[in-house]
Amino acid sequence: MNNIALKELLYKIADDQLILGHRNSEWTGMGPLLEEDIAFSSMAQDKVGQSLAMYTLLHSLGEGDPDTVAFTRRGNQFHNCVLVELPNGEYDFSLVRHFLFDTAEAIRFELLSTSSYEPLAQLAKKIRGELRYHTLHANTWIRQLGSSTEESIARIQASLNFSLPFAMGIFEASPHENELIESGVFAGEKELKQRWLAKVEEIIHQTDLHLPDLNTVEPVLGGRVGKHSEHLQPLLDEMSEVFRIDPTAEW
Amino acid sequence: MDMNSLDPRVNRLSTNTYPVPNEPTAPLDQFGTFEVFVQPKGDKPFQHEGIVHAPNLEMAYVLAKEAFTRRFVCVSLYVVDTANVAASPITEGDVNIYQRIEDRSDQPGEKLSYEIYHLTRRGKQHVHAGTVQAVNAQDAMVKAKHQFNSGKGICSVWAVRTKDIRFTLPEEKDLWNTLPEKKFRDASAYKGGDKLSVFLQSKQKSSDHSGHSDNADQ
Repeated sequence: MNNIALKELLYKIADDQLILGHRNSEWTGMGPLLEEDIAFSSMAQDKVGQSLAMYTLLHSLGEGDPDTVAFTRRGNQFHNCVLVELPNGEYDFSLVRHFLFDTAEAIRFELLSTSSYEPLAQLAKKIRGELRYHTLHANTWIRQLGSSTEESIARIQASLNFSLPFAMGIFEASPHENELIESGVFAGEKELKQRWLAKVEEIIHQTDLHLPDLNTVEPVLGGRVGKHSEHLQPLLDEMSEVFRIDPTAEW
Repeated sequence: MDMNSLDPRVNRLSTNTYPVPNEPTAPLDQFGTFEVFVQPKGDKPFQHEGIVHAPNLEMAYVLAKEAFTRRFVCVSLYVVDTANVAASPITEGDVNIYQRIEDRSDQPGEKLSYEIYHLTRRGKQHVHAGTVQAVNAQDAMVKAKHQFNSGKGICSVWAVRTKDIRFTLPEEKDLWNTLPEKKFRDASAYKGGDKLSVFLQSKQKSSDHSGHSDNADQ
């Protein structure tokens, strides 16, 4: 087991968390109701905090310090899936993205809680409660809006149809899959996707929504190797704007 | 009308109809309310913290979690529809509310579990006092009078049927595991005052220094 495979795994997880954390934080002060604004902002904060923990692990493996890694890379150096960088648009899309992503995220860390890379296993156990809340929040909203009014069902369905090709990009295979699996670091994207699909189906079946046949969905890949949409770089520019004014400033 | 804000997030909103026409909102154009109870520590009772708006009990639980337990240490939370909270009047002065609750002979009917809460002073919160078995909320307050009345300092009592409460499930107890580490949600963690003092001192020093050089120039 070499560090390259491990670092690749840590980077994609961390970058997903940072970018989605930033995107979701854009709702702060603009959420659909006060309580939801607070909840969504808190979860965005959790995600950025989780990415900090991952960048700190990377730092211990010889990578740059977390702030440098988070704020000074260019878009093509990021390994997040395209799903998390898409602009917010309407709240239904943000909720659906949150549901699709966090279902995968919670299962990913469940699998990582038995990782042979002990620091990662410990982190997975530590943030289990945070991820439990994120999925509880997502599942509850999807059940609610997926079975209440004609408009809410139509909106969630449309966002679901739109998001699925991007969600497939969460599971873009790493060139190091076999190595990660054989060394017991991570059970692999295929295993993750299978469990994710079962969970997504379980929730969708409790609503008036329907899940399109995934075989008909063309996955949007490339994020894991730095090929992003035109939306990532502007996000990075905005996120790092204050940092770049004075990178040595202490906050 | 285009909206220009210094916040780029605001400018990205689809607000081309902003400001919205000033039409009166429909009556009750918001969700109903749910009462939120929080347990600060394992050995402390639950206490009432406030309300959330939500379309149903489960959503209320989800929204209450961050609205009420995102900062201070806490181990558990529960919510109940405001309509399901039976509240006594609040007494004036030192009058104990239980003096106003008259004993009644046992009523027929199935006994259910009720949670009882006491308010010990106006402006404080209702705190969980215990659980009684009763046929209805009124009966629950009578039962509470015999079981939990300490004799003074209780100005209001609430009774809530236990099965109307959305409790934190045993497997959900880890929801607050990382909360003690989230100091960044407290303004004090940023030590703004300390940083300001250092800044002002450094400013003072530099102005002392420039004052000195002015004198030397003369």
